[in-house]
This record gives sequence, C-alpha cells and structure tokens, in this order.
Amino acid sequence: MEPERAVASSVTPGGVGAEASRGTAGGATMTKVVVAVDASEESLHALSWALDHVVRHHPGASLVVVHAQHPADHFVYPVAAHGLAYIPPTAVESMKKTQEENTRKVVARALEVCAQRQVVAKAAVVEGDPKEAICQAVEEMHADLLVLGSRGLGMIKRALLGSVSDYLAHHASCPVLIVKPPKAHAKGTGNST
Amino acid sequence: MAETNAAPAPAAAAAEEEDCSSRKMVVVVGVDDSDHSYSALEWAVRHVAAAADAELVVVHGKPSASSVVTFGSPGAGDVVRFVEADLRKRAEDVVDKARRLCIANSVHGLIEVIEDEPRYVLCNAVEKHGADLLVVGSHGYGAIKRAFLGSVSDYCTHHALCSVMIVKQNKPKK
Repeated sequence: MEPERAVASSVTPGGVGAEASRGTAGGATMTKVVVAVDASEESLHALSWALDHVVRHHPGASLVVVHAQHPADHFVYPVAAHGLAYIPPTAVESMKKTQEENTRKVVARALEVCAQRQVVAKAAVVEGDPKEAICQAVEEMHADLLVLGSRGLGMIKRALLGSVSDYLAHHASCPVLIVKPPKAHAKGTGNST
Repeated sequence: MAETNAAPAPAAAAAEEEDCSSRKMVVVVGVDDSDHSYSALEWAVRHVAAAADAELVVVHGKPSASSVVTFGSPGAGDVVRFVEADLRKRAEDVVDKARRLCIANSVHGLIEVIEDEPRYVLCNAVEKHGADLLVVGSHGYGAIKRAFLGSVSDYCTHHALCSVMIVKQNKPKK
C-alpha cells in the first residue's frame, strides 16, 4: 500500500496527489475558515494571527467569525469562569439584554479586525455549550479550518489550554489551529509556565 | 534553555514584529510512519507551505531500539540489532515519502530525523528553527487512550512556543 502511494505521487504530482488528498485531508483548497472569538484579547490576537499568516495566502477563502453565547435561559450565570451568580427570575430579561450587547460588541470588534486587513468576513452567533455549539457549527459550515486562541473560551487563567480549545482540537471535523498569545511567540523570553 | 536563546531572541522577536510581511514563515511539521501523519504533512505542504511560500522543516522523531525492546533474555543483543535495522529502514521510508511530497508540491523542505521521543523532538525543533507554526497529525484517540498512551499533539499544543495546527483525517463530509 505505502510503496504504491509513494510511486504514484512522484509520477503524476498534480493529478493523483490531489485525488489522494481530497479523500483524507478534506479538500484540495482552503475555502472556508472559521475563527472562534469571545471577549478576550487573546481570541482577537488569534484572529489577527490567522489573518496575517494563513488567510492572507488564500485570497479565495471566506472567513466566518463565530461567537458562542451562553444560553440565556439559565438562572445561573458563569461569572469570570471561577464563580457562579444566581440570577433571580426578574433579572433574566436584563441579563439577556446585557448578553446580547456583549455579543454585539465581540462580533463588531472581530469584524473590524478583519476589515482592517481588507478581509470580508461573516459573523455567526451560536448558543449553548460553547464547545459543542462551535463543533456543530464547524461541521454544518463545512469549515476547512478552525482557529482558536489557546485559552479558548474558558478564560481560566492558570491553564495553558482552555477546556474548550482542548475539546475542539480533538472533536472538530476539520484541522484546528491553536494560536498562542504573543508572549509565547517571543521564542523563549520569559514564557510563563 | 532560556539563557542560550536570550541573545538572538530579542532580535528575532523584533524582526518578527516589524517584518511580518516580508520574512518567510517557518513551519515545522512532525511526521511518523502512520497514514494520518502523512495526511497531516500533505495538508501542511499544500495549504500552508506552498500557499505561503514558507520555509518548511519536516521533523521525524525516530524511536530508539531501547525504547522498543526491553532487555531480559540472553538473545536480546541480536534482537536489538534487528530492531535497530528495522527502525532505521522505517525512518528512511518516512524521510523518502516526505521528500517526494515536497518535490511534488514544489516546496523546499528541510527534513530532519532525530532520535528521541517525538514530543520533545517537535518542541525542540520549534525552538531551534524559530518556527511560527507547528503542524501535527492526530491519532484521534479518545480521552482515555490519550491518558494512557500519551498524546504528542496534546503535549505539543501545551508546550510548543508557537501556534499549533492539529490536522486530523476528516470524517466524511455529509
């Protein structure tokens, strides 16, 4: 099996190689890139990095920024990932409004980053458990690449990899790019571990 | 580790900040002798290295005979020789396939084989070459298998100093 493939790729690089890749690597071109964003600076940095290093070289690719919104019908609301606030029923409406406002801001910031680089992007907001919602969105959109910040959407300060990023790295139906924060790119200068 | 890199690092970091557009991206891809790893390399070569005209470094962590064979019997010495020869042959096959793939896609790639555990080999290669991106395949193990067998992609995602791309073999699209 292996020798055949090796021989084939050297004989007809264009034709056979492309056929082989379509079956396993999911397509010969990168046409749709999905970037998960939240309110963190890190996810914006992930978006910028992806735009500068990957999307730039695929001018035909379409970009979708996805924001996962926590379901608004809960009476318990996660606060800064280390606490839970109980929301009395009377305050649910205003919670919803605040949440929608936050979502709007997150999406607007992300689209602005794209616009700064002359990249046209669409936005999608998904509700529910972030990791499952994004996973499903990626599948439905037939994404060719998913981009995340390394803390993902969990914002847990001490972990180097958020649980959402970890989940998506293994369960997403397409390749996943995990972008490290700028400090990590400084190649060994005071990387906090 | 930090000390030896201290001198070139600030210059490299400064260069990276300003020269992002003109400096070539450095991409390290980890390969072993599995099919999914080859697919990951294919994906990286096609969509990243070729598209971005990046500098590609293909790194293979060759297992050593001692990590595969445990000594315990009188005939162990001979076994080690055979195992060593087999491992070397496999590493050569990996290198060969990688080289052909690069040629087929008109990508210039540096191919390295280092004898050590893959996780360390990949993270060290990232540091050594000042990589912007590390690409690894994924076995697609479940959480329990990953806990027992260890996962190179997990380790690299946590410890590599650059962004990491995990390329799985796709499930068939609906």
